[in-house]
Amino acid sequence: MKVLVTVKEVANVADDFEIEGLTIPEQFLEYDLNEWDDYAVEAAVQIAEDRDEDVEVVAVTVGPERSEETVRMALAKGVDRAVRVWDDTLAEAALVGPTAMARVLAAVAEAEDPDLVLSGVQAADDGFGATGVALAEHLEYAWAAVVNDLELDDETASVRRELEGGVEELTSVPLPAVLTIQTGINDPRYASLRGIRQAQRKELDVRTLADLGLDPAVLDDDLTLTGLARPESESDATLFEGSAADTADDLETVLRDAGVSAE
Amino acid sequence: MLDYVALEADLDQEERLIRDTAREFVDEEVRPDIGEHFLDGTFPRELVTEMGELGFYAPNLDGYGLPNVSERAYGLLMQELEAGDSGVRSMASVQGALVMYPIHAFGTPDQKERWLPALGRGEAVGCFGLTEPEHGSNPSSMATTAERDGDGYRLSGSKTWITNAPIADVAVVWARDRSAEGSPVRGFLVETDRDGVTTQAIHEKLSLRASITGEIGLSNAWVPEEDVLDVEGMKGPLSCLTQARYGIAWGAVGAARNCFETAREYATEREQFGRPIGSFQLQQEKLAEMATRITTAQLLAHRLADLKARGDLRPQQVSMAKRNNVRMAREESRRAREMLGGNGITADYPPMRHLANMETVYTYEGTHDIHSLILGEDLTGLSAFE
Repeated sequence: MKVLVTVKEVANVADDFEIEGLTIPEQFLEYDLNEWDDYAVEAAVQIAEDRDEDVEVVAVTVGPERSEETVRMALAKGVDRAVRVWDDTLAEAALVGPTAMARVLAAVAEAEDPDLVLSGVQAADDGFGATGVALAEHLEYAWAAVVNDLELDDETASVRRELEGGVEELTSVPLPAVLTIQTGINDPRYASLRGIRQAQRKELDVRTLADLGLDPAVLDDDLTLTGLARPESESDATLFEGSAADTADDLETVLRDAGVSAE
Repeated sequence: MLDYVALEADLDQEERLIRDTAREFVDEEVRPDIGEHFLDGTFPRELVTEMGELGFYAPNLDGYGLPNVSERAYGLLMQELEAGDSGVRSMASVQGALVMYPIHAFGTPDQKERWLPALGRGEAVGCFGLTEPEHGSNPSSMATTAERDGDGYRLSGSKTWITNAPIADVAVVWARDRSAEGSPVRGFLVETDRDGVTTQAIHEKLSLRASITGEIGLSNAWVPEEDVLDVEGMKGPLSCLTQARYGIAWGAVGAARNCFETAREYATEREQFGRPIGSFQLQQEKLAEMATRITTAQLLAHRLADLKARGDLRPQQVSMAKRNNVRMAREESRRAREMLGGNGITADYPPMRHLANMETVYTYEGTHDIHSLILGEDLTGLSAFE
């Protein structure tokens, strides 16, 4: 069995940051493995550990050389090998939206021919939340989104999906399938020092779009980035200071003014 | 965390991953409860196996399932652990540098096979008995004895100030072998459940409270010949201490960095007279001094790593770093505490906990003063204590 995990290095923005045109300058950014993908990696590694048959876990990422550190961390946690896709075309793209990203990932998935693809529900930075499902569409795989429990047999993934309003759905998905993994499905491990050492020797292939047989036009997308702005804060917080009796009086005034009344 | 001259920018990828893993581990597994453990005087016992699973014990050693990481990576690990608490770093130091190191360096193949994998995984806990109630800075005057008896030795005496003694499965005990000529110091792997071996916890400590400390009593305790380490003389215990002090020199920087970051954050958020206290010159001078002294200590630690990696590190150089860096952490944790005002004396913030811990670290593994004398001897060729 082969499991493909899509991972993304996401940018975390500092508390105080500036916007320059359509980007946030590097000095305000720190990079880390996308939180959701950490759960997807753990789910994949647990499948490999729990099943009797040999399971190969392959990670795929689309990102610059810097993102190899994030991928190595996944290798240190038990992923067997990794593929990183990058070239000048990707580097120069202003935005790679979920459709374009899914096309690139699909080319890797077609070459790998996995039984199961695990992706995080969404990325912590751009938050599109659509890449996994779009990938399933390209591959013509079955899919289930926002999975928070997973049982696997040879032909089916039995999953629990998180719906709106605290409702959960139990469903079976025939393999091959793409599942987008929700946080909380497991307890992601720390990489052990031994794992970190072994990860340095694991295969990490770098491919260009051309290597994957893709034309630069795969990145053409209806989606364009037109602006980047910090949302205006519309709420005003009022801080009451003083004794409990005084602040209770203050609060009462506010509540009455707002039309809240016990009479 | 403060890295003012970007020393960590030069780490290799493996070292960065190890630092990041250790930092995340401390953030998630140590930091949330460590203040409570300090107040209660308890050690977070679940960390023993968790740290073992991650390979935090003697990771710079090779074989027996040990990761064999670089000396710098090992230092970074100690630095991150002590940024959590000196008690957690002490656990890793004792297990790795004081118990696994001597077994690795002086143990027989059987001893290594028996103990290193189990200690490495945290399934067994070790401790190190050198100091005695009447023999501290001068350990070579130790009164604990070993006497030949059949296929083994009988040990008598008492050892104290031992991290983890009450929970240890095995103690590395140093004793004078009276059956050999000149009564050389020898090392014994003493299982704590042997007849004649007792351990007792030392309570009511005001420092290193999130750490278990105790004594070992040896009353004619018999140890078989196969549990004797293959080393004679004070170089046995002293070589272990050099390993552990290397980790302390790194760890102290971690504790100080945690204090610095706490003080910096506090100074930028806490407002008095209508502005953050960090905008006042008196507070800025404190931060500037802390950052400078932390950075110079950090430089020393990184340089030791280079020397250790190429086999050129001398024990006296480790003494200088332990002496300097712990003094630095002791003073800077106090400065950070001061910047936090009344909040600084609570367990809600780490500086006073680090400050209290540093009182222990300042005088264990060679007191500050003894390290001065080691340096004095090295610099003049004249010993002040022999």
